[in-house]
Amino acid sequence: MTDLENLWDDYPAGDAPTARILASAARQRGRRRRLLVRPVLTAGVATGLAGAFVAGTLVDGGGLGSGGPGTPPGARQLPSHAAFQADLEPAASCDDLLDTYVRRAADLVGPWGWGGGPNRVLLGGDGPGMRNEVTPLDGAAPSAQSAERAVAGNAYQDRSTPRTDRQVNSDTGTNVQEAAVDEPDTVKTDGELLLTVRDDDLVVWDVSGDDTERLSSLPLPGIEDAEIMLSGETVVAVGADDEAPAARTDPYGHGHGGAAGGGATRVLTVSLADPAEPEVTRDVAYDAGLLSARQHGSSIRIVLESGLPDLAFVTPTGRRGPEEALRRNRALVEGTTLEDWLPNVTSDDKESQLLDCTNVAIPSDELTIDTTSVVGFDAGAADELDAIGLAGRTGIAYESADHLFLATESGWDPWGRWPMEAGPEAGPEVGPGGEPRGTSYLFDFELDGTRATHVASGEVEGSVRDRWSLDEADGVLRVAVGPSSETGRFSSVVTLERDGQDLAERGRLDGLGRNEDIQSVRWFDDLVIMVTFRRVDPLYAIDLTDTTRPRLLGKLKVPGFSSYLHPLGSWRMIGVGEGPGAKGWGAQIGLFDVRDVTKVRRLDVLSYGRRFEALAGLDPRAFTWLPDERAFVTVLQRHWTSRVGYVSVVRIGDGRLGQRLMRVEYGADVDLVRAVPLPDGRVVLVTGEKAAFLEI
Amino acid sequence: MDPESESAYADYVEQSWPSLVRAAVFLGARPHEAEDLAQATLVRCYTGWERVSGADNRDAYVYRMLLNCLRDTRRTRWWKDRQYDVPEALERPATGRGADAAERVAIADAVHRALGSLSKPNRDVVVLRYFVQLSERQTAEALGVPPGTVKSRLSRALAHLAANDHLLDISGRSAR
Repeated sequence: MTDLENLWDDYPAGDAPTARILASAARQRGRRRRLLVRPVLTAGVATGLAGAFVAGTLVDGGGLGSGGPGTPPGARQLPSHAAFQADLEPAASCDDLLDTYVRRAADLVGPWGWGGGPNRVLLGGDGPGMRNEVTPLDGAAPSAQSAERAVAGNAYQDRSTPRTDRQVNSDTGTNVQEAAVDEPDTVKTDGELLLTVRDDDLVVWDVSGDDTERLSSLPLPGIEDAEIMLSGETVVAVGADDEAPAARTDPYGHGHGGAAGGGATRVLTVSLADPAEPEVTRDVAYDAGLLSARQHGSSIRIVLESGLPDLAFVTPTGRRGPEEALRRNRALVEGTTLEDWLPNVTSDDKESQLLDCTNVAIPSDELTIDTTSVVGFDAGAADELDAIGLAGRTGIAYESADHLFLATESGWDPWGRWPMEAGPEAGPEVGPGGEPRGTSYLFDFELDGTRATHVASGEVEGSVRDRWSLDEADGVLRVAVGPSSETGRFSSVVTLERDGQDLAERGRLDGLGRNEDIQSVRWFDDLVIMVTFRRVDPLYAIDLTDTTRPRLLGKLKVPGFSSYLHPLGSWRMIGVGEGPGAKGWGAQIGLFDVRDVTKVRRLDVLSYGRRFEALAGLDPRAFTWLPDERAFVTVLQRHWTSRVGYVSVVRIGDGRLGQRLMRVEYGADVDLVRAVPLPDGRVVLVTGEKAAFLEI
Repeated sequence: MDPESESAYADYVEQSWPSLVRAAVFLGARPHEAEDLAQATLVRCYTGWERVSGADNRDAYVYRMLLNCLRDTRRTRWWKDRQYDVPEALERPATGRGADAAERVAIADAVHRALGSLSKPNRDVVVLRYFVQLSERQTAEALGVPPGTVKSRLSRALAHLAANDHLLDISGRSAR
């Protein structure tokens, strides 16, 4: 030990003035606040409705990319593996599979074609409208724990009350459901380049400089409503195939939850090796609609729904009675071949069947007949496919870091058929009976790279609203279900765990939001926040620490409701939705104190007034949380004579929300407005045609 | 800043405080300046905290901030007009212990005399690497120089101190 070292150790540094440092840190942060500074924005007005247009600083960089050369011919299926390791049985043979399709489809065909058609009305004696009125069965499930009782028994309050966690945009700048799973969007960034899609053109921007610079633009051939994913220098665009011949029957008219709908899907791969001249390297088309597309690292997974084949059905006419029409239509169905049912994939002008018959599982006939395909591929090899199928319609796809869950949509059968109590052999002339499907079916697939393996199935009474109703953590699937014919008039949180090949129920909490509908759900490791609504917005915090016994921790009722919840951290949460305000019922944003989820409080609320609608409820990608700025950006629209899009930059400070509103876009482009955070902390505001830095 | 980061930050403030203050003194600051510098450094770090807190280069980042603060304050008036041992500085109840104040000034004087003969680059290296005990890589990052430069400056600085140990022994050869 030397003298200088002694002096070092002897120096009385004293205690850190931590409180003083924290206080000046907070003050300093306050000083850093700036309103509009950059010339990017021509004007800015705080809080008022008058706003500013975003004037981009654009530099045109021509150079259209050329078509994709050197694509290997045809799509290649990877060697198959035992994709079905649970109760789902793959078809033994192609004949077996076709038999199933034809047999189950026979129940769906009527004198007017698919679905009951007008015979629902003709034959509806004991109408479903009456059956639909389900008698409330409070605490229906024997193991159920009533929410009210749970609250009453909530006397003990352990210190380890679960907390919310911060959620920020994915690495590519998209506000996603699961941190580890990226989702397609019309905007992506790697921090240096920013990619936008509009009117089926891929535009590449350089965002590394002081101003955004438009480098190039590439028309994406044969694709409509494309959204993109980004893996290194590879862009994978997914969207509807606009070169497809007449699409199959899709009674919804559009996909749901996915990027684009319709009866056909196209996947284009674009290389950004030269950002000034991006080029299409692969082009793969599927004659099935897109339900979901997700990215795990460089693995891309798409879930496709084929829909029912488009057959030349007849309808009853003056000379041809309904019986004759039904007979003719049934004959058509009996004459279908596997080509009518199984999707095809086209790559490099070579068409092939996407699924091997023995890679299609036949679920129980509770599931409506359809073909759901789960297709995995590497971003760099979009034509080397790992594809398996399910001969049924699910409607909801949710992916966690290493699982894919398919769930059936609730309510009325999507084909307009009512499930027959009399069983399939009775045929449709029995007429409608039964009730809307009261049980949701769940299929659990384990993910490994591009491969999906079915490992368990389960069911849950009640209706699953959308992908946000599902969440997997530590191998436990948690589901928020709304009321159905099999439940009382309330919502529930159910936990399920794999037990062999079954997704077995582990615990449940019933009696939430009596006579109300689920509006939004946000899951955490051991907590769920759920909002239901009819007249007020009850927000429930439910403890999932013990998954066998979900426990209501607290609830809060405020006017209006939140259709999107975003946790800022473990102290604060934002609820975007609608509610009453001084300027009438319209969009509202609430700031909630969730530090103690047993006593959730609303600290502040912003009301935007009549005709304003917050888009985050419909599409969470319209919301961006910028933790470093303690601000978030959210897109609103106002219906007047046309759609007008606004961006609201909302700052959080001292438990208050302060916002400024900017008018940025009109019409359909409002859906494309995004605020994209870059790794260096700057934010790019992307509107229809422009991408410019936004001063927060 | 979210609460977890904030409490991690507060923990870091507590834990890093003594070294930061001592480093500021060893880099040439007067005792009360050293505390202001340490405080300013930590306040600056708050802004980018979430970006640096997880990384193993956190200390490098913080000490780089300290050097920046020191450089910035040297450009300001108080550094130019600084007066040694003004009574107010002695009496300043930095942490409420009056006796400490005199000791601080005495130690600071001794340190400044001992290290005053080093060039600024060499002094920075010896303080960060030898006293704060940052790793070679962290020191290099904090100073923005290659690790090899850290090594050579350190050996030069130690050699210089050893050769000028008429005030204090730094070489460790003469045990006391």
